[in-house]
Amino acid sequence: MYTAAFMVTVGVIGWVTVLVVSDTLERQAQRGLENEASALVDEFKAGGRQDLEAALAGRFANPLTHIRYVLIGVDGRALLGDETLLPYGRDPAGSVASRGAGPRTAARALSDGSRLVVADDLADVRHVEAVIRRAFLIALVIAGALGLGTGSLLSTALLRRLDAITRTAEAVVAGDLTQRITHTGSKDEFDRLAVTLNRMLDRIDGLMVNLRQVSTDIAHDLRTPLSRLRQNLETTNRRAATLDDYRVAVEQAVEETDRILDIFSALLRIAQIEATTLRKGFHPVNLSELFHTVADAYAAPASDGGRTLAADITADVWVQADQDLLTQLFVNLVENALLHTPQRSTVTLELSVRDRSVVAAVCDDGPGIPATEREKVLRRFYRLERSRYGPGNGLGLSLAAAVAELHGGQLTLSDAQPGLRASIAFTRELIL
Amino acid sequence: MKILAVEDDALTLALLVSGLGEAGHEVEQAGDGHTGLTLACGRAHDVAVIDRMLPGIDGLELVRRLRAAGVQTPVLFLTTMGGISDRVDGLEAGGDDYLVKPFAFAELLARIHALARRPPLGRVETVLHAAGIELDLVTRRVSRSGQTVDLQPREFSLLEFLMRNAGQIVTRRQLLESVWGFHFDPKTNIVETHMSRLRAKLNSNGEPDPIGTIRGAGYLLHALMA
Repeated sequence: MYTAAFMVTVGVIGWVTVLVVSDTLERQAQRGLENEASALVDEFKAGGRQDLEAALAGRFANPLTHIRYVLIGVDGRALLGDETLLPYGRDPAGSVASRGAGPRTAARALSDGSRLVVADDLADVRHVEAVIRRAFLIALVIAGALGLGTGSLLSTALLRRLDAITRTAEAVVAGDLTQRITHTGSKDEFDRLAVTLNRMLDRIDGLMVNLRQVSTDIAHDLRTPLSRLRQNLETTNRRAATLDDYRVAVEQAVEETDRILDIFSALLRIAQIEATTLRKGFHPVNLSELFHTVADAYAAPASDGGRTLAADITADVWVQADQDLLTQLFVNLVENALLHTPQRSTVTLELSVRDRSVVAAVCDDGPGIPATEREKVLRRFYRLERSRYGPGNGLGLSLAAAVAELHGGQLTLSDAQPGLRASIAFTRELIL
Repeated sequence: MKILAVEDDALTLALLVSGLGEAGHEVEQAGDGHTGLTLACGRAHDVAVIDRMLPGIDGLELVRRLRAAGVQTPVLFLTTMGGISDRVDGLEAGGDDYLVKPFAFAELLARIHALARRPPLGRVETVLHAAGIELDLVTRRVSRSGQTVDLQPREFSLLEFLMRNAGQIVTRRQLLESVWGFHFDPKTNIVETHMSRLRAKLNSNGEPDPIGTIRGAGYLLHALMA
C-alpha cells in the first residue's frame, strides 16, 4: 500500500516535471523565433529584399541551425526556403504561433507584399521531454521495486517483533510472571512498547508478591489475638463462677475484639486507599493549620512521656487533599516517632515550601531505622525486631505510605543523622 | 425520648430497639426506607437513627425528602463507610451526625443525647454555666467560684464541649471530633492527657473535680455541684 502511494507520488512528480519543462522550453523557442523574425525584418528594412535574401542564405548555410525559413511571394509561392512551410504563411496579420502538433512558427508580413515565416519543429525539446519521461519511468519502476522490497522486509521484521510480544504475553497468562519481552535497544516504537510492557509486568509481579505476603501476614498476625480471645472465652466457660467473673471476662473479650476490628479496619482502609481513585473526594485543606493541630494535640502526651515536640511550620500552605486521611497520616508518623524513641528525644514537625513543592516531614533524633529495613517497614504488619512485642500493630506506616501515595507524594524514610526523617513531597498539581 | 430507628438488618435493629429501650427511650422501628419515611413524617420524634444503606429509598434520600417535607427531627446516620466524602454527603442531605459500624452502644447513646439537646434555633448563648464554672465564649475567659482559670485553647474547647453537654456522658470519640477534628481513633490517648491537664487547672484550689470518668463510656461534667 505504501509502495503504491510512493509510486503514485513519483508518477505525479514526473508528469508535472515534464509539463513544466516542455512548456518552458516551448516558450523559450517561441521567443527565439520571434526574435529571429524581427531580426530578419530589420535586415529587410535596412537593405531591402537583397539584404534579406543574403541573410537567409547565410542561415541556410549554417549546418547547426534547426530553424526553417520561407519567404513567400505575393503570388503565394515560395521564393526562398522550405516549401513545406507555405501553409503557415496564410495568415497575413502578423505572427502566428501555432501549437500542438507541428512546428512553432513566427510570421511577418513585409512591406513589399511578401511574407516571412520562421519555424522550429522543436525536435530537441521533444527529445528532452522524452529523456525526462524515460528517466521518470525508470524511477517509477525502481521505486516500485524498492517499495515492495523494503515493505516486505519491514513487515516480516514487524511481524517477528509482534510475535515475540504475543508469545511472552501468552506465557504470562499461562502463569509464568517471570517472563519479560526482549528488546533490541533500538529505541524505536516497538522497543518502547516492550519496555513499557515489561514495566507493567514488573508491577503485576510486585502486586502478586505483595498480595501473597499480605495474606500470609494477615493470617499470621490475626491468629494471635483471635486465639487469645478464644482461649479467654474457653477459660471463662470452665472456671468462671460469679457474675462478676463473667462480666470481667466479657469486657476483656470486647476489648480484644475491638483490637481485632481495628486491625481489620486499618487493613480495609489501606486497601481502599491503594485501590481507588479517592482523589475525587479532595477538598482544599490548610496543611499549616493541620500541622499546628497535630503539634498541639501531641505536645502534652510527648512531654508526659519525657519527650519534646517541636514544630517548624510555614504558614498558609494549602493543598488539595482528603483532610481525614492526611490528619491520620501525620498523626501516625508522630505517634510512631513518640513510640519508638527513648526518653529525652525530640520529635520535630516540619512543613516547608521548596521550589514550589511542599515538603512535610516528621523527624526524630532517636535510634532511627537501619537503611536496609527502611523499605520493609512500610509493608503491612512489618515490625522491627526491637519493636516486635511492643504496642502497635505494624500497620501505621503502611497506612501512612498508602495515603501519601494517594496524594501523589511518596513517603520517604531517611537518616536524620541521628534519627529518622519521614517526609512527603506533594506534587505540584495538588498545591493550591 | 421518642426515637425512630430505621435499619434493614434485623439483628442490628433488634439490638438497637432493645438497647435504647433499656436506656429508657420509646422506640419506633422500620426495616426499609419507605416505612421509615412514613413513620418519620407521622409522629414527632426527638431523634431518628437511620442506616444509610436501606432497601427501597436509601438513607440519604429518606432524609432529603424528610427535610423537604419540613421535618426538623435531628438525624444520626449509621453506616459502614466513614470517609470524609461520605460524611459530607450525609450532612448535605440534612443529617446531623454520623456513626460508623461497628460502634459501641455507649457511643450511640451519648450522641443521641447530644443531638436531642440542641437549643432551639435563634437563641445564641455567649456564656455557659455548669458545675459552678463560668465560660465566656466571647472573651474566652473561664472562672470557677470567682477565680479565673487560665486555659490553653484546646483545654477551653474541651471544657466548652463538656459544659454544653453537662449532665450527659460524652465519649472520647465525640471529644476527638469536636475539639481536634480527628475522625479516627489515634493510638495515643490525647483526650486523657488534655483532660488531666484541664482537671489540674480547674481543681488547683483544692475544689472537687467536676469531671467524672465513666469507665467504658467517656466523661461526664456534673451539672450541679453539691
